[in-house]
Formats: sequence, structure tokens, C-alpha cells
Amino acid sequence: MAAGGAGGNSGKTYSFKVVLLGEGCVGKTSLVLRYCENKFNDKHITTLQASFLTKKLNITGKRVNLAIWDTAGQERFHALGPIYYRDSNGAVLVYDITDEDSFQKVKNWVKELRKMLGNEICLCIVGNKIDLDKDRHVSVEEAESYAESVGAKHYHTSAKLNKGIEELFLDLCKRMMETAQAEERLKGNGASQSASSRRGVQIVDDEPQATPAGGCCSSG
Amino acid sequence: MIRKMFRRQVELRAYWRKLKAFVKKLSLQRQMMENLIIAKARQDALQRKMEERRLRLQEEANRRFAASGAMTAEEQEQRTLYTNVLEYEQDHDWPKLWKANMKENPDDVTLVSRLVSYLLSRCDHPVVKLLRKHQYRVYNGLYPIVSKGLPQSPAVLLRPSRSTHNLLHPETKRKSTNTVSSGQGFSTSLSLSPSLSHDLNTNYDDEEEEEEGEEPHTQVTVDRENSFEDLEQFLTQLDLAPPHDSTDDTGSDAELTCDTSMLKEGHIQELEMRAMKEHLKAIVKDVHIAIDQLLSLCLLSFECLNTASSKDLCLASIEEAFFTPLWSALVALFRKVNRERERAFETSMKLYQDASPGVLGVPSKLFPPEPDTLQGSYPYESAVQELKLLVKDCCPQKKLECIVRTLRVICACAEDYRCLHEVDSAPKTAAIGADDLLPILSFVALRCQCPQLVSECAALEEFIHEGYLIGEEGYCLTSMQSALAYIESLHTGGAYLPADKLI
Repeated sequence: MAAGGAGGNSGKTYSFKVVLLGEGCVGKTSLVLRYCENKFNDKHITTLQASFLTKKLNITGKRVNLAIWDTAGQERFHALGPIYYRDSNGAVLVYDITDEDSFQKVKNWVKELRKMLGNEICLCIVGNKIDLDKDRHVSVEEAESYAESVGAKHYHTSAKLNKGIEELFLDLCKRMMETAQAEERLKGNGASQSASSRRGVQIVDDEPQATPAGGCCSSG
Repeated sequence: MIRKMFRRQVELRAYWRKLKAFVKKLSLQRQMMENLIIAKARQDALQRKMEERRLRLQEEANRRFAASGAMTAEEQEQRTLYTNVLEYEQDHDWPKLWKANMKENPDDVTLVSRLVSYLLSRCDHPVVKLLRKHQYRVYNGLYPIVSKGLPQSPAVLLRPSRSTHNLLHPETKRKSTNTVSSGQGFSTSLSLSPSLSHDLNTNYDDEEEEEEGEEPHTQVTVDRENSFEDLEQFLTQLDLAPPHDSTDDTGSDAELTCDTSMLKEGHIQELEMRAMKEHLKAIVKDVHIAIDQLLSLCLLSFECLNTASSKDLCLASIEEAFFTPLWSALVALFRKVNRERERAFETSMKLYQDASPGVLGVPSKLFPPEPDTLQGSYPYESAVQELKLLVKDCCPQKKLECIVRTLRVICACAEDYRCLHEVDSAPKTAAIGADDLLPILSFVALRCQCPQLVSECAALEEFIHEGYLIGEEGYCLTSMQSALAYIESLHTGGAYLPADKLI
């Protein structure tokens, strides 16, 4: 089951949830398919196809389980965003470099995410379709300076040419791990005495988001 | 003379016989006394032994919990429970055998589920006793609310009246009698509630029982013993009966009824809703605490289950046992709280029941161009059929699996429909992403014609284990929630529900 991401004996396993945001035709589906399967043309990917994908990684000796949640980009579903991105560790916001509007949409999402989730979520702004650079309508400078101004990282990718995607997700994972570790340290200081209150039973009650599959944290 | 002598002898013999009998009786009595004394001594010894054992086990439990000074009430309770477990294990061999079996076959994954289901079938095991205790507690919390007052919305779907009581063991029935008769609120609400049909409306009174003879008597017994079945009857009526008048409400609500005339109807409803939401919150909390406790005790009883994967399996079994008899009552409360959302869903459902997938934003390549090609059926019918099964399951985990299956069927259907369009062209790259999935799912949920889905999903959201919410199951549930919310907003023509309402 997908929930089996609990920390094993040999080191810790991180489970991260990443939401994928972007307008309908920016190519976010192709992007994530490229990343998870690296088979641009495969017709039988997973049971849920490109909507929900998982990837297992090993970063500096630590296991990472990545769950990538695609969201619907259409305006009619816009109001439903929050139920998708709650509890996310990261967000990948995709726009099409040939489409000014799609970049505008990304800006709206950034605002919303910051408002709802604060600074705990790692944001990646991704300009896709760099294979169509000759039709570029969003300048590199504009995009990069915007990303910096909102505390996000900016990447350029091409799903078609499989460029920049691996780097994007690896970078995002590292950042999410850092955030999770910082959170753990913070928790570790305060939780040392309360941890003894439930000895004998290994209940991982208030584990940080990074390892939600502790097994019995249904009290939340 | 001879005759006289003879008579004497006869008399003497009779005396002698009496004397003998008396002596025999005396010795018998003495023997009995002796036996009694021996028995008493034995009993005392046994009791002492039992007491000693209890103390020993208590100490063992204490050691196990490594007491660090002060003990909370919760710890105390857990310790007592663990003592009970140890005691049980002294009297029964099977836990030892299972533990040994688990040790010998650590790779046998089926063993965990088998052990847990065996454990849950042992009615006298502390884990099962605790399970029943929590179930009755939650059930008692639900009963007054659910049995009283009916939702205004005439639900389309008929709840299958399956009697859940037979899932419980006969022992628990006896226990249920105790619980029910001790909770007075239970019986009063039973006899007074206007939502009852005449056959249940018998007064809960011993004298009357006798007067009215056989039939009502048996019914009252049914009320008291098969409380789950009884509740089931309410729930069936909940879907069938028309909205009832609030003036003839239960006795406990007498004051409230008086106030109704003085205060605005809307205000009362608002207050009622707020109280109901609070109640729901409390119930949800109780359920979580119960499941936590059950899992803890389970893991204490069988340490071998305390690994990540076994724990998940164990939890799944506990949840199934816990929720199955309670789900219909739980969802009834959720339906009351989510009445407005269900109504909105219903309005949209009526407006859009014949809408084509395209109206909901499904791209035309993902459904057949003409309805005729499907021969009397409609697009994504298999997914609709799958989703309709959701209300029939009684355990959150199974319902969640049903949602996952629905989404998988959708993806498979979409794939097929696309192939219909692309017979000549080379296969396209794009697989189904959320942009396609959500409109299709909305279409499927709409065709399902079951407003109860709204409450079912709201309940799932509360009860599904957090660990599942990040994975595929969580994604599917979230998508379902989104689709339902979208449908609810459909009839208002684009004015969406505020996002924070859904969180």
C-alpha cells in the first residue's frame, strides 16, 4: 500500500507530497510522466495514469518517497485547489514560456499557496517548453526575478527533450529534506520529555509531516 | 403370647432399623461437613493463589510500563488492561501458540491478518472486551441523535436494511442488554420518539407488557437486545419517512419545543446545527481515541505485531471490526450535519442528470461522439456502477478502496474512448491527468445519483488513517471530494463554495 512509508531500521524514509499546478496546456502532465517513468510514449503508465504518480529516490543515503499530485488547471475547478495542496511539502508550478497568461496564473497560485500554507512549502516555478524558445513570451529575467522575490526557485524544462526535469525534482527533494530536518530538530528539542509518557508502546504520534505513515497517528 | 413376642420383635427390628438409619445419616452429615471444610480450604488456597498471581501480573505490567513516578489515569487504565491480558494468557494457550507460530514464520504475511482476526473472534479477550466497550459508547452517543428527527431531504437512495447485529457474537447481545437497560435515555427515546412506527411504539413498561400479551413483549425484548438491529430500523425509516412535526418531539426536548414558538425557526435550526456539529466532533474524537487504545492493547498483547507493516494490517482489522456495526449510525449523523451540502448536490443532480460529459468539461476525445455507439448505455457507466457500491460497504478502508477502483475504471474507460477516436493516428503521448480526470469524475458522481456520497466522503475524510492520505488512496479521496464540491456548486451557475468550507 502507498501508506507503507514508515521509517525502517536502516535510516529514515521521507515521504513527501508534491502538488503540481499549472494551466491546462502547459505540459505539466508530460513533465511529470517524463520524470516518473522516463517513457514519453508509454501508453500504460499507472492505474491512475498521470494524475497521481510516485517515485522512490535515494538521496545522500536517505530514502525518499515522492507522491506527486496533479491538480486540475481549469478555472472551473480553481476553488478546489486547497483540498489538494493541504499538507503538501512542495509545489511545482508550471507555465508555458510561450504563454504569458499561464505565467500570470502561476503568480496567482503562488499568492494563494503562501497565504494558505505559509513558508513551509517549497515552491518551484517551472518554465516549460524551452524547445520552443523562439516563441518565448515570458522573459528569463522577469521569471527569475519574480521567483526570487517570492522565495521560490526557478527552473527551465522541456518535457519533449527531457531537459531539466531530473534536476528540478532532485533539487526540490533536497530542499524538502532540509525543511523536514529543521522541523525535526525543532520538535526533537521540545518533545524529549513528552516522549517518555507513552513508553512500551511505539506510537509515533506527532511525527513531522515527513514520515506520516507511522502507523497509528489517527488522533489528528 | 407368641404373637406378642413376635410383634415386639418386629417393633424392635423397626427401632433398630431407624437407629441404623440415624447413625448412617449422622456419619453422612459429618462426612459432608468434612467435605465442606476441605472445599473451603481449597477455595481459600485457590483464592490466595489467584490473588498472588494477580499481584505478580500487576507487577509484571508495572515493570513493562517502567513506571516513571507519576501515572496518568490513561496509563493506569492501560496498565489494568495489560494485567487483564496477562491474566487471560495464563488461562488460555492460544496466544502462546500463535506467538510461537509468528516467530517461526516471520515471512508469512497472511499470518498477521489471521492472528488478528482470530484474536477479534475471542469474545473474552481483553482486546475484544475493550472493543465492545468503545463500540457501545460511540453507539450510545449516536443513538439519541440518530433515532430522533429525520432529515428533511428525501433521499433518493434506499439504504439496504442489513441487520448488523449478527456480526456481533451472541455474548455481546447479552452485554448489549445490560448497556441498554442501564442507559435510561435509551429506552425513553425509544418509547417516546414520534419517528417510530407503531410496532416500535410500545411503552417500555413491565406491567403493560404483561397486559398486552405476547406480541408487544417480544418486540420490547427485541428493542432491548438487538439494539443494533433496532437502530438499523430507524435508519431505514430515516430515508423513507416524510419530515415529521417538531411539536410532538421527544419528552427530553419538551423545553426546546416550548421555545420554538417564541424564537425564530431559523435561529433554532442554527443552534441545533451547531450542537449537532459539536456532537459530531466529539464522536469523531471518541472514535479516534478508541481505535488508538485498541491498537495499543493489540500491540501490547502481541509484541510481534509491532512492525510497520504488521501494524498497518492490525489497524485495518481493528477498524473493520470497529466500524462495521457502527457505520450506518455514524453516517446518519454526518448526513444530518451535511444536509445543506446534500441538498445542493441533489439540486445539481436533478438539473444535470441528462447532461453529456462535455457539459462538465470532459474533452470530446474522452467520450464517444454519439450516444448510440454505446447501445442504451452511457459513457463511463462501469465507473458509475462501481461508485454506487460505495454506500454498501460498512468499513472506511473498503469504501476508500471502492473510490480507488472507481478512478481506475475511469482511467481505463478514458483510454478506451480515446482509442476509439484515434484508430488511424499514432498513439498520442498524453495520459489522463487531473485536467481530464476531475471533469470525468464529476460526471460519474453526478450519474451516481446518490447525495449520500457527500456525507460518506466527509466521514471518510475524518476516519481514514492519515497514513493513507498522502498516497494513491488519499489522492482519490481528494479528487472525489473535489468532484462532489464542484457538483454542489453547479446549480448556482459558477458561484463556487468557498474553499475553506471544504477543508
